[in-house]
Amino acid sequence: MSTPRYEMGLKAALRELLSYKSGVMGLGLLLLLVAISIYTVIAIPYDRAISLWRGEGGIWLDKPRNAAPIWIKYLIGKNLPENIVLDTRVRRVGVVKAVTPIPGTNFKKLYIEFTFNYPYDGFPSEINLFFYAKYNATAPLLRIYWVKPGGEEFKLMDYMLRAPDDILYLSINPEAYRSALRHVVEALGKEPATELPIEVCLFGVEDESMLDVSTARSLKGTYKLIIRGTLFGEDADVDVKAVIYGRVWGLAGTDHLRRDLTIALLWGTPVAMAFGLTASVAVSIIHLIIGTISGYYGGKVDLIIQRLTEIYMVIPFLPFLILLATFYKLTIWLILAVVIILSIFSPGIKSTRALVMQIREYPYIEAAKAYGASDLRIVFLYIIPKILPPIVPGMIGAIPGYVFLEAGLSILGLGDPYLPTWGKVINDAYTNGALYKGYYYWVLEPSFMLILTALAFAMLGFALDKIVNPRLREL
Amino acid sequence: MAEPLLRVENLCKWFEVRRGLFSKPLYLKAVDNVSFELMRGEAVSLVGESGSGKTTLGRTILRLLEPTKGRIIFDGKDITHLRPKELMWYRREASLVQQDPYGALPSFMNIYRILEEPLLIHKVGDREERRERIFKALEEVRLTPVEDFAFKYPHMLSGGQLQRVAIARALILRPKLVIADEPVSMLDASVRIEILTLMRELQEKRRISFIYITHDLSTTRYFSEWIYIMYAGHLMEIAPTKELISNPQHPYTQALLAAIPDPDPENRKRFRKVPPGEPPSLINPPPGCRFHPRCPYAMDICRREEPPMIDLGGGHRVKCWLYAKR
Repeated sequence: MSTPRYEMGLKAALRELLSYKSGVMGLGLLLLLVAISIYTVIAIPYDRAISLWRGEGGIWLDKPRNAAPIWIKYLIGKNLPENIVLDTRVRRVGVVKAVTPIPGTNFKKLYIEFTFNYPYDGFPSEINLFFYAKYNATAPLLRIYWVKPGGEEFKLMDYMLRAPDDILYLSINPEAYRSALRHVVEALGKEPATELPIEVCLFGVEDESMLDVSTARSLKGTYKLIIRGTLFGEDADVDVKAVIYGRVWGLAGTDHLRRDLTIALLWGTPVAMAFGLTASVAVSIIHLIIGTISGYYGGKVDLIIQRLTEIYMVIPFLPFLILLATFYKLTIWLILAVVIILSIFSPGIKSTRALVMQIREYPYIEAAKAYGASDLRIVFLYIIPKILPPIVPGMIGAIPGYVFLEAGLSILGLGDPYLPTWGKVINDAYTNGALYKGYYYWVLEPSFMLILTALAFAMLGFALDKIVNPRLREL
Repeated sequence: MAEPLLRVENLCKWFEVRRGLFSKPLYLKAVDNVSFELMRGEAVSLVGESGSGKTTLGRTILRLLEPTKGRIIFDGKDITHLRPKELMWYRREASLVQQDPYGALPSFMNIYRILEEPLLIHKVGDREERRERIFKALEEVRLTPVEDFAFKYPHMLSGGQLQRVAIARALILRPKLVIADEPVSMLDASVRIEILTLMRELQEKRRISFIYITHDLSTTRYFSEWIYIMYAGHLMEIAPTKELISNPQHPYTQALLAAIPDPDPENRKRFRKVPPGEPPSLINPPPGCRFHPRCPYAMDICRREEPPMIDLGGGHRVKCWLYAKR
């Protein structure tokens, strides 16, 4: 006699599940995703995640724009530039700051020297100077110098601070660019054939190759950025943070707003899991109950439920959802509610009803009626336990569908307006032409997470199906 | 004379059959005008071929089907048209043993739970009392050691054991009436007698009124004081078991008895008188006596008028014109 497995208890079911390869892998992936979710929710609480994603307080300013993840270096075997942050407020080797009063006046002389090593292939993506100054009436006057490895010091520009917390975008400053280009022309005695970005002028090897952007190579070695200035007033002071932005950053890279993608990838996990699981379980249970009631009671109840189901089946689910999401910017929980409401009467009811109409005629149901079991008791204790096991694999298997639905809506720009989710990252990537510009990581990372989630539930569903299916034949 | 436990008066169960949306509904008269009385502690066999309406009669008496006409009086109370809530006491007093022991028990409950369900529904006792009662019930149907059987699932038991569980379930509320619908027809021949004697023993011990529905006349003698013969929705003959078997009066009963296989090889060549034809359509039954198309003694009156129930004395009654005193 065959053993109906689901009656052997949870422990045995788990052991059974682990006897299938897909069960082991599915369960492993699921545990991984659950672990990520728990870690994320604890380490980056909801409010913090949202404020991080909005970039409140300029927290992303010293991160590079569109930087690939750092492990790309090992993948392509090139030492891509990392972020270099030099700050006079942080005492360390290579940072020198000296303020000396000029006798007879209340002026002071400022000398800042940043010395840093640049061992990377390729050029930085940007250079910015952030100033943190204190002064009364007259803003400090600064002169900025650049020293290449083994080269002479040359002046980039003069700069008068416009505000105490001024930012000098060196990469797009015309004066700095002119000086850097002039330096190159003097060194080589030739005009470059193509336009050279300032990063190339400042970091390139000064030979023939530099005349063309596509052949220019970076000069590895020790660089110096020197700032000389005059401070006016007793208590005037200037601190500088120089950021030489790299091309790789962090485990997941950054997006067009310099945000760390790990936040979205991490937060996407609990969101996707909660959305998929809730939607699938809620929809399956609603179908189970409505289908059972429809099949068991028959008559008018059945008639009403069946006609409603047919009306629902005619309403196009996705267009309707898109319509709602377009008109009202729905948060993810509202989207979830709409998805569940739109699936209350769907074709799943018909198959449950068919199954129940068969079970309704079983002798054990008649016996239950004979000893006085109420209709509700029969529905919930006699019929649903009988049809639940074959429905569970389908329920697990339907989860990826809902995860993808949420991502799909986000990709269309209809997702939750606040939460960072995988779909939203793909949406950002798409609107910023990530694939055209070669930022593959931007699309591939969230896609990978989506596929991982889908795979976990799909494999678990397959394994459960194998366990439960022998029962289906008995029904 | 004592008050009967169950009195059925002119009970009818007609099923509506619709051929089309606008056509007049037709009725399938599965049980038509059946009357009888059942005394306390008495066992009767209800015998008939398939389609004779014996199962429908049992189900209608248990109010699993809504009676079309007539009355069912149980213990002095009319239960014919009571609503489900008002019927709860009756559900406790009357119970059912079904034909198919494999389908009669929910596969996802263990035996303990199966037996506990009726007790829970009727709010009998507390946890401890229920446990005692369940174990005692299992002992009574000889599923021992009780502790082993109580926590098994139906698929782990054999057909005979399952039927014992079903009997235990039918008796656990201590009913006054049990209707057993072909309780042994799906069991192996080897366990049939065992189950029948077990039921008989419990019936006598507890003085339960028992209606044993069967198509097999040969098993009735183990069981009942009375035999009711049913044909095409009518009761044809009612008699004490011994009297009916030794002295059948109705031509149909005679034919049924003649059809019982004879184990004696000496008689293997003997011709069996089996009435020709088949039971009639219940939607459009023959006028007069329903058996007349197959009856070897059919007379004119049989074709025109339905025969009355004729008392032959000693409780022997027969529905046949042959015995009418005219």
